[in-house]
Amino acid sequence: MLLAVAEQVLNGLMLGSIYVFVALGMMLIYGVMHVLNFAHGALFMLGGYCAHLVFTQAIGNYALAILAAIVMLIAVGAVIERTVFAPLRDNLRNQVIASLGLVLFIENLVVVLWGPNALQFRIETTQAVVSLGVLRFRVQHLLIIGVCALCVTALFLFLQRTRFGTAIRAVAQNPRAALVVGIDVVRVHRVTFAISMALAAIGGALLGPLFLLFPQMGDLPLVKGLAGILLGGMGSIGGAVVGGLLIGVIEAVSTLVIATDYRDAVTFTAIVLVLLLRPQGLFGVRTREEA
Amino acid sequence: MSAMLSVRDVSAGYGGRMIVEGVSLDVPAGQIVAVIGHNGAGKSTLLKAVFNLLPGRRGRVRLGDTVLDGLAPQRLLAAGLAYVPQERSTFPKLTIAENLRMGAYLLDDAALIAERTERVLALFPALRARLGQLAGTLSGGEQRMLEIARTLLVAPRAVMLDEPSIGLAPKMVDTVFDTARRLAGQGVAVLVVEQNVRKVLAAADTGIVMEMGRIVLADSAASLRSDDRVARLYLGAAGRAFSAPAHP
Repeated sequence: MLLAVAEQVLNGLMLGSIYVFVALGMMLIYGVMHVLNFAHGALFMLGGYCAHLVFTQAIGNYALAILAAIVMLIAVGAVIERTVFAPLRDNLRNQVIASLGLVLFIENLVVVLWGPNALQFRIETTQAVVSLGVLRFRVQHLLIIGVCALCVTALFLFLQRTRFGTAIRAVAQNPRAALVVGIDVVRVHRVTFAISMALAAIGGALLGPLFLLFPQMGDLPLVKGLAGILLGGMGSIGGAVVGGLLIGVIEAVSTLVIATDYRDAVTFTAIVLVLLLRPQGLFGVRTREEA
Repeated sequence: MSAMLSVRDVSAGYGGRMIVEGVSLDVPAGQIVAVIGHNGAGKSTLLKAVFNLLPGRRGRVRLGDTVLDGLAPQRLLAAGLAYVPQERSTFPKLTIAENLRMGAYLLDDAALIAERTERVLALFPALRARLGQLAGTLSGGEQRMLEIARTLLVAPRAVMLDEPSIGLAPKMVDTVFDTARRLAGQGVAVLVVEQNVRKVLAAADTGIVMEMGRIVLADSAASLRSDDRVARLYLGAAGRAFSAPAHP
């Protein structure tokens, strides 16, 4: 039993890491630009397809394929930011509608380009199984957790320690003041969007080889990522990380007690409970915006 | 006396409606020029217009020999014009040290930043002990001081303060105007917009009265202090204290 729990916790951390990629990206964009981008899951999926394309058609090196997917998604994100979100700035409702439209557009674009059937994304090297004491895992699982930890650390250091990272936080807290001290707010928006796209690309490219690639593969990670944000508390990076991981672990561990079919229901029940008992999330602070 | 900050014929407003019309003024280096007037007279709009925050602004603004018209805020700061808006412009969840670092956002030279930060902290000793504290934990007055202190990191030639005393305790108001005085003492041209007429005229060299978007009176702060029309204005008399604009 203990073994099974440990196995599921690690599974949960792996799934949770995927949710963290989605949650962090969405929260960065929301925190800095006040854009709620529901197309994030579709972009995550596109990241998986881009990595697959480069891996199977061009280089055959997984790491380089992920890098290529990052670059491609940043380019796609730059177009979307300029053509869809920037013109709708300060209009949250229309941005939400536009981002839902983007979901349809991107998913169907993928159907046009790659067809509606699921694709296999086999990476031989990461299919290998390693033993961790009595536990046995695929390299891909550990890779996902490791890359997530690396990205979270890098993002945290960037935001806390560098001038531009501090400027991103400054814009999130007081955009008008940022203008007054000479921060290029438009550039901060663009870089934030690019970071968010990079995280989506990495997430999609890491999840792809685990299951299959299909046009809706981003839908559940999107909802789970959002759940992670709510669980952790809106507006805190640490909260999004812990929230995303927790959602993964709750989901995985619950399969030990309840039928696997119910695991999504378990996750969302947990969210409902959190919202009822602690609406600001686990790490959120109740705040009122100052006029 | 040559003006450090020179504003000529500036008109501006929101969405085509002009709030400020044909305002001209000069702020010499080392002096404080105070713009007073009723709520809605266009004082704050004037500062926003000078800082190029209002699209469609007309007129010319120079800082020393630099023409500022149409420059983005980053370029204005680089030229040496700093602006402290009326609404809070600290970053509440950044530390005081980080807030100061953001004040020097445009600077790359670490040694220069360190040197200027040191000078600012010498001028504002209260901030030094609390460098690691979040700015949001400071009182309103302390945050105002932080905002003013932060502008010094770009070594400005001119500073514009929009209602610096608003919402502050009386003692803090004195501190803020003392600080403005000290800035001027270092050769900075200070343009301040203020509702607290008595206090600002006590600190300023020159006073300018605005009404309905125009300058109706400009004189030395000393003579404005004894002007009974100004007295009526700052005692809160409603309506127009002046019968006709000085510049029709």
